[in-house]
Amino acid sequence: MNEEYNYHEEEALGKGYDGRLMKRLLLYARPYWLIILACIILLLFVTATELARPYLIKIAIDDYITPGPLVVWEPGDEPQEGIEYRGQVYVPRHRLTEEYPGQAKAQLLTYEGDFYLVDGYMEGTDYSVQRDGERLVLDSEAGLFAATPLADEDYRAFRGPDRDALIRLALIYLAIIALGFGLNYLQIYFLHRTGQQIIFNIRHQVFSHLQRLSLRFFDTNPVGRLVTRVTNDTEALDQMFTGVVVYLFKDIFMLLGIVIVMLQLNTRLALVSFTLMPLVIIATIVFRIKARGAYREVRVRLARINATLAENITGMRTVHIFHQMKKKYREFNEINHAHYRASFRELKIFAVFRPFIDLVYFLALALLIWYGGGNVIQGLIPFGVLYAFIQYIEMFFRPINDMAEKYNIMQSAMASSERIFQLLDTPVDIKSPQQPVPAEIEGEIEFCNVWFAYNPGEWVLRDVSFTIEKGQTVAFVGATGAGKTSIINLISRLYDIQKGQILIDGVDIKEMDLDHLRKNVAVVLQDVFMFSGTIADNIRLNSDIDDQQIQHIAEVVDAHRFISRLPRAYESEVKERGATMSAGQRQLLAFARALAFEPKILILDEATANIDTETEQVIQKAMNTISRGRTTLVVAHRLSTIQSADKIIVMHKGKVREIGSHQELLARGGYYYNLYQLQYKEQETG
Amino acid sequence: MKSFLLLKDFFRKNAWRYALGVLWLILVNSAQLIIPYLLGYITDQIETGQVATADLWRFSGYILAIAAVIVVSRYFWRIYIMGTARMLEFHLRDMLFSHLQKLSANFYNEHKTGDLMAHATNDVNAVRMALGLGIIMLTDSIFLTVATVIIMTQVIDIRLTALALLPLPFMAVLVTFAGRLIHDRFKAVQATFSDMTDRVQENLSGIRVIKTFVQEDSEVERFDQVAQRLVFKNMDLVKVWGLFMPLVQFISGLSYLVVLGYGGILVIEGSITLGAFVAFNTYLAMLIWPMMALGWVINVLQRGASSMERLKVLLETEPEVVDGPDVQDVDRLKGELEIRNLDFSYPDGTAVLEDINIKLPRGNTLAIIGRTGSGKSTLANLLLRLYDPPSGRIFIDGIDINQIPLEVLRRDIGYVPQDAFLFSTTLHENIAFADDSYAREQVEETAKLAQIYDNIVEFPRKFDTLSGERGVTLSGGQKQRMTIARALIKNPALLILDDCLSAVDTGTEEQILKGLRRFMSGRSSIIISHRVSTVQDADEIMVMDQGRIIEQGTHEELLKRDGLYRQLHHKQQLEKLIAEDRG
Repeated sequence: MNEEYNYHEEEALGKGYDGRLMKRLLLYARPYWLIILACIILLLFVTATELARPYLIKIAIDDYITPGPLVVWEPGDEPQEGIEYRGQVYVPRHRLTEEYPGQAKAQLLTYEGDFYLVDGYMEGTDYSVQRDGERLVLDSEAGLFAATPLADEDYRAFRGPDRDALIRLALIYLAIIALGFGLNYLQIYFLHRTGQQIIFNIRHQVFSHLQRLSLRFFDTNPVGRLVTRVTNDTEALDQMFTGVVVYLFKDIFMLLGIVIVMLQLNTRLALVSFTLMPLVIIATIVFRIKARGAYREVRVRLARINATLAENITGMRTVHIFHQMKKKYREFNEINHAHYRASFRELKIFAVFRPFIDLVYFLALALLIWYGGGNVIQGLIPFGVLYAFIQYIEMFFRPINDMAEKYNIMQSAMASSERIFQLLDTPVDIKSPQQPVPAEIEGEIEFCNVWFAYNPGEWVLRDVSFTIEKGQTVAFVGATGAGKTSIINLISRLYDIQKGQILIDGVDIKEMDLDHLRKNVAVVLQDVFMFSGTIADNIRLNSDIDDQQIQHIAEVVDAHRFISRLPRAYESEVKERGATMSAGQRQLLAFARALAFEPKILILDEATANIDTETEQVIQKAMNTISRGRTTLVVAHRLSTIQSADKIIVMHKGKVREIGSHQELLARGGYYYNLYQLQYKEQETG
Repeated sequence: MKSFLLLKDFFRKNAWRYALGVLWLILVNSAQLIIPYLLGYITDQIETGQVATADLWRFSGYILAIAAVIVVSRYFWRIYIMGTARMLEFHLRDMLFSHLQKLSANFYNEHKTGDLMAHATNDVNAVRMALGLGIIMLTDSIFLTVATVIIMTQVIDIRLTALALLPLPFMAVLVTFAGRLIHDRFKAVQATFSDMTDRVQENLSGIRVIKTFVQEDSEVERFDQVAQRLVFKNMDLVKVWGLFMPLVQFISGLSYLVVLGYGGILVIEGSITLGAFVAFNTYLAMLIWPMMALGWVINVLQRGASSMERLKVLLETEPEVVDGPDVQDVDRLKGELEIRNLDFSYPDGTAVLEDINIKLPRGNTLAIIGRTGSGKSTLANLLLRLYDPPSGRIFIDGIDINQIPLEVLRRDIGYVPQDAFLFSTTLHENIAFADDSYAREQVEETAKLAQIYDNIVEFPRKFDTLSGERGVTLSGGQKQRMTIARALIKNPALLILDDCLSAVDTGTEEQILKGLRRFMSGRSSIIISHRVSTVQDADEIMVMDQGRIIEQGTHEELLKRDGLYRQLHHKQQLEKLIAEDRG
């Protein structure tokens, strides 16, 4: 039970990054490098569209919203349309494509709620409008300029071009967000498609590799754990590919983009903003170390909880029998509480890190207000630049905040890939020889001094030798553990022997093509394994035998009668691995399955389960039919089988004890005689 | 939502933590709301030229002061809300565990371990999310939305607000709708994922058949089909999910578009100041998260509620076997057993025992022999009250078993089950399972008695060796001897050995039984077995078949009769003969 739920699994957590594993993982991405590159380039554009907004707003503020310089012409001389006011034409500089240093400049200004047209242009915001006799003058650090008060409608007329430009800018922004939307979607779609394909390939490889491993491997590795390799571990890799690796590029583009834009807008202000970066870097490093330990701790504790819970549920009967509920409760409570403490510690680390990063952000903001604000006042930079800086600094901190999550994903992906590679590196120990001996299999079998052990040193077969003629039916008998089943396993090379030789038609089976060998040896096991799917599927397995043939085969082994009585006959679904069918029915289906492959050698492990007399007769008849013209080996449990066998091989403790026909052996009155009394005598009356 | 009432004790005790957390959260939000306003104010001050360098110092100071409030509050809301959610997780899991302990054998026959595990992990997680992140999102979305909108309309401009916020409700709708769609498609992905898991599981379980019929390549093809289907289902999900974030960005982009165009014109016309424009932009940025949260929170709360619903069903399953109101004050059992006319059927209706009558005087040994499925183990289950027997049928020391306190009953009966289940603790702890206070000497003595001592001392860490996956894997026979030791150490008044030596050969079994003989003399014992050699020395032997006692007597008496016992005996004699044959 416990093996099915592998709750210990997660205790082993890998490093956050392992170059060796990463290199091997990236090999899987290699066939898709072009599309991945395309995704990265798309990301570059997406990042650009995201960076565009503060920049556009900056343009809006500096060029259009805040009134810019106006270049003054005599009417008729203006190169671009402008605003005519009191005999002059005023053209906003953003409409002009070249500089006109010779032309006079003018400027719109607001002072204490009133609008003024000022002759001349100055930067900065430190000014006042004063009355100088009849005239109004603007007093600023740059000097004195003549100012004309403007009526509201005149002011609005002056601003007309700015308004038009702003609407154009808004339309550009619309285009940019629409483009960003499209590109971003494309990027996500293709990235995930690629990720899915990569994971599919890894899964395919892991599964295919598993198919090639020998039974020895499956004896020592619980199925549940292997299933996890194919399914969950690969899933963790998908998360890494799609959730971390490529987004890393996005984060880098984002950070680099922000740095570049800031430097380009104003180098000095940018450098001042960056003075706090070391704080962020130090905090991030400290956090990574702390968070890693805490995360690991939480995972380990959670794995403990799950393992303990699973164990308690499975062993609840034992707990009840000993009435130890309180003790087990205390144990669980302690483990549960340890998890709580660990998760609280993790929480605290986040609770400190996140606000700390916020604090750095606010420091940066305060710095910008103080230093940048000062620059604006002095007219060193336009206000829009300060605004853009404030926005960019905010954006800069975003990727830093979700770094922790990405780090966690990396950690579990590394652990998963380690396990996957370990499986892939398990060598295939039973495989076809490089140059197989081409041989048509006729069906003569010879064991020459065969020694075999599942575990080194524990011999299951000791020096076993016998010969079976082509077309003979041979029954193997013996007590449990005598080695009968092992012989079955060896002929189709499910295991390889340690010493001796197994020959079919005089050729060592190790020199034959493995598939060719197995295709000619059909094995019917006692415990018939049924796959999900229909009855017909279970007979043909994955081959392309048509329905008519299937029915014909079923008729031959007398399975047709019970199959045709099923609600959907051959198309009936097999439920719960065939648990709804009787042992006899399953056996007949297994015969049909074996027969469908027209093997030269047939190996049967008879079912020990109680089968009623009628079915028994049906099975016996079917066996006689299918063994005709084939070499047949039977691990016998039924009297009728041993009576009709050409030869009986009596096994005892891994050795061949007696060989002969039923009558010969009985007459000898030896070991076989006793065995017969025990295992078969009862059936005489039945 | 009613199902959350189950947690009322927790809420009563911890509501203040949540309240405090929400207060901290509101404090953060309020402080955050000042920042845009301040930025707008500074903008206007700068733009209208009313600022000196000294004022800038002051503004930076304001920002840092607000930052201090935000930073401190952020720490505390996380601790109070998220921390309480963690506490809740602990509490819920604790409740679940202690309830599971109360449920009896029947419940575990009907519920798979995997399903129960899913409750304890997925459902507990979903509830934690709802009462952690859910509360945060709910607070944020309500408070921030309302407050921001009020400030925007009151302080800045109502027309601009109306126009700029026009796209945002669509976002909340989109998030809710897409969230549901994503959830559905995600479920489809999970279903396919479990199909794939089943496929692999089936393949690996049937790997023998696959190899013998050379089906490896076709199996890979079949696997590829389901793996490919998983790829498609995942892509179906990505098609919606991948649209989600870009669309959210696009919709919020539309709001910014309004502010840039229309807001900009308002500044140009002098209807609002540049400062208001700047503040508005910043407020808008603050609104996007709560709008998204508004959509998510519905899903998170819904999922939490349905998980809580499932947990409620589990937590409200009534325990079947409990001490009744008529329980008697019993200190110790002496070990005299009587069963009168006992019939028993399992709750699903299958009759197992019919008209059982047994009298076991104190100190005697009773043996029960019979084929698999004859009802022997059911009898043992009833003696331990893993199922409740009918009243007035089973008596220990003359008291109806249903009136003996469970704790006393199970303490004074030593039971060795057929399936040897060990915990993944040390071997010492496994033997001393009934009581931690047994000394090492006692444990060692008992281990010797159960013939497991020699095996244990061969392990490098001896009695401190861990059993199970993280330690040694014991063989079936070793496990059975461990469970014998575990029962013997209790010095029980009644010892029940339930076919507990099936995994050792007859020779070893005899040896173990010989060792136990002294322990059993003068102690009431019941030996259940399908082997004659195990039971032959008992004071009385009962042969069970199909839920009834068909023969009864001593070994010699039974051999004289030509019944099932004699058949079994003959067969097992032959078995022994064959096994002892030295080839």
